[in-house]
Amino acid sequence: MSIWKHLFNLEERRNWWTRKMPDGPLRDFYDTPFPARDLDWRQVDYLALDFETTGLEAKQDQILSVGYATIKGDRMLLSSATHILTRPTMNIPEASAVVHGILDDEAAEARHLEEVMPIMLNALKGKALLAHHAAIEYEFLNNACKNLYGFPFLCPVVDTLALEVRQFRMRDQAIRSGDLRLANARTRYGLPRYPAHNALTDALAAGELFLAQAAYRRTRKPLKLKDLIVVS
Amino acid sequence: MEIELIEIRDFLSAHHPFDQLPEQALNLMPEKLQIRYFRRDATIPDAGSIDDYLYLVRSGAVEIHGLQDELLARLGEGDLFGYRASHMEGHERFTGTALEDSLIYQLPAADVDHFCREHPQFSYFFEPAGGDRLRDAISHTGEDGNSQLGLMATQIGDMINRVPITMPPFATIQQTASVMADERVSSILITEADETLTGIVTDRDLRRRVVAKGLNTNLPISEIMTADPYTLDASDYAFDAMLQMARTNIHHLPILRNGKIAGMLTATDFAQRHTTSAVYLVSSIYKQDEVAGLASISAKLPQLLLNLAAADATANSIGHVITAVVDSITTRLLQLAEEQFGSPPVPYAWVAAGSQARSEQTAKSDQDNCLVMDDSYDPELHGDYFKDLSQFVCDGLNACGYVYCPGEMMATTDKWRQPLKNWKHYFDGWVDQPEPKALMLTCVFFDLRCIAGEKSLFNDLREYLLNKTRGNQIFLAFMAGNALSHKPPLGFFRNFVLISGGEHDHTFDLKHTGIVPIVDLARVYALAAGSQAINTQDRLKEVASGGEVSHGGAHDLRDALEFVSSLRIKHQAKQIRAGIPPDNYMSPDDLSHFERSHLKDAFSVVRTMQNVLSQRYLR
Repeated sequence: MSIWKHLFNLEERRNWWTRKMPDGPLRDFYDTPFPARDLDWRQVDYLALDFETTGLEAKQDQILSVGYATIKGDRMLLSSATHILTRPTMNIPEASAVVHGILDDEAAEARHLEEVMPIMLNALKGKALLAHHAAIEYEFLNNACKNLYGFPFLCPVVDTLALEVRQFRMRDQAIRSGDLRLANARTRYGLPRYPAHNALTDALAAGELFLAQAAYRRTRKPLKLKDLIVVS
Repeated sequence: MEIELIEIRDFLSAHHPFDQLPEQALNLMPEKLQIRYFRRDATIPDAGSIDDYLYLVRSGAVEIHGLQDELLARLGEGDLFGYRASHMEGHERFTGTALEDSLIYQLPAADVDHFCREHPQFSYFFEPAGGDRLRDAISHTGEDGNSQLGLMATQIGDMINRVPITMPPFATIQQTASVMADERVSSILITEADETLTGIVTDRDLRRRVVAKGLNTNLPISEIMTADPYTLDASDYAFDAMLQMARTNIHHLPILRNGKIAGMLTATDFAQRHTTSAVYLVSSIYKQDEVAGLASISAKLPQLLLNLAAADATANSIGHVITAVVDSITTRLLQLAEEQFGSPPVPYAWVAAGSQARSEQTAKSDQDNCLVMDDSYDPELHGDYFKDLSQFVCDGLNACGYVYCPGEMMATTDKWRQPLKNWKHYFDGWVDQPEPKALMLTCVFFDLRCIAGEKSLFNDLREYLLNKTRGNQIFLAFMAGNALSHKPPLGFFRNFVLISGGEHDHTFDLKHTGIVPIVDLARVYALAAGSQAINTQDRLKEVASGGEVSHGGAHDLRDALEFVSSLRIKHQAKQIRAGIPPDNYMSPDDLSHFERSHLKDAFSVVRTMQNVLSQRYLR
């Protein structure tokens, strides 16, 4: 697929898949256009998203919890804040349980991913996906879409980690280990310290970081969505 | 609410006024919030009106400026501005500027209205400063905690109810005794036809002066009455009456209202109410024959302050009680001095100035006093007597912990020990040719109260002085200028006190930035109105009905004074308990959110009234 993204832009690819796809949650998602690349960043809706997972490999590991909140332009709306536990089909490895604190018993009470995916796709409609190190969320979504609906996931993506890397490059600053971690990035913008590794808290933390990054980028010419998204 | 928004809820619940919301309402709040990020120097809001949202600083700092770009407030974590909170700084219109990169929670106006409607305790916060809000704060502390302490705030007029029984001076002893028996009273007042009081007769007088001596009961009652008895005014405090009785060992006090008899106060009126430790302290003062004995009593003052504070007495009551002790010590010292140096060659009045005059002492203060002698005073003949007398009393007060006034405003200073005509001369100078610098120093002499001696000397001086100041625009303008020299802080910012101009102080000076500005305002009002009241609460009460200041303004100032003063007493009580000498400096760290918020109200009230005064006299 990597060749397609150089030949066709995101919107063209969305149209392509829409034509081929049967009815269903993913089709519903694709029926709504993506936010236009040339929009001022404040006219775009974003979904700040975070997953807690059993590990980092989208193909083997599973989603344990989902947290998200909508950002309308330059404000994050807590009314949209959502946190859902998803039920894994595998046992939760101890190494990951230590991090996110979700145990097998709790997860057993949770909803199946096929129930949760439509909710998430609905929340993502017409928005840009926003996450810190978004590749993880993107890959897990892509994998879930392929498994559940037989088609890949597409969405404009804003990655606060990538924005942070750009910020370092622009200042010609060396990146030391740990600099790009969510908590450390937030500290640079004077944002308060939150306890990490809860999907919703991390989603809010990433959302706030994005607001700060955008505020810092607002300098010469108006900032547009295309200046913020990572190529996908 | 999503469980993960608990952190936001916890942040809210740690800050006033959200801490006033019941848990259920608090749980509903986070999802109403919108999160914004403002870079340093950004204007808040960046679009729309400031009244679209209520803003809560989550992290960072925001400065609030008025229309003339003057700094109104500096806000840190947990502080609010915007919708409904705008008037809290005393200004309807202002702008916010991020002083640091700031994370801001904004609550839409409609939601603010909703929470205010549903939760009165939350909406109080958004009332105009100094209104019900400050009153509400004081209601926690503003009433004396128990009935004994109530005496300090109760005016005698509220305690007397029955019409006094009177007899004319020509009635016979027998007739008088018969009326007393019929009316079941233990004392009776003897009055002229125009209701002026000429004497008092008690059961004890009948026993000792009539029966014991086998006197003819057909003699007129004026033969055996106590002529010209002690009286108090209906507006005096019940506590003063108790002290008067303790001091003079009498059990019946005629009470006057506008010079006419209003009733009789007897020792039994206090019988159900236990005497307070203060009254015991005072009565023991009059049993001391040496300065050392007085000093050992004054050493108990800190404990008295603790007891009063623990009993939730109002700051105003505590001021009266603590001052009553120094009044009594002064009176006793004068009695001892007269025993030692003989009777005074000419009449004199011992006059207290400053906080003692205003009955506003707390933990021990400096002494401020002066001596007014009769105009028959001859320095050649009487100079040494009064010099010795003053030295004795001032030394005694110093030994009791009322240390010598650093400005030498004491009767021992020749300048402040003068016959009445010279005092009038002083006031001529201060009032007719006011100099800002001199006024600052002599301000203390515009709060005077006679402690002992010939009261008419003092009354003469006070009348003279008030006649000069009443409506005297030029002099009042100088006093107003002086009253504006102490400004309340703008508020608090993190662990600092924010003062106008944007400077920071590390401590909050309760006296000079909290209490003195209110005392100064009340003094100007009182001098302008020619009011005889000296105590600041009394002054504000009195001038409020005279038009010198609005009723609401005076009320707000009284509330502000009570709130700041009670905070000072709490602070000093804490220091006394910790064995630290009490002072007037508080660290902002020691203030609760509630106290900070209400102090800001008090400051705002004072600022508003200072602006009004400045408009009136200094345009």
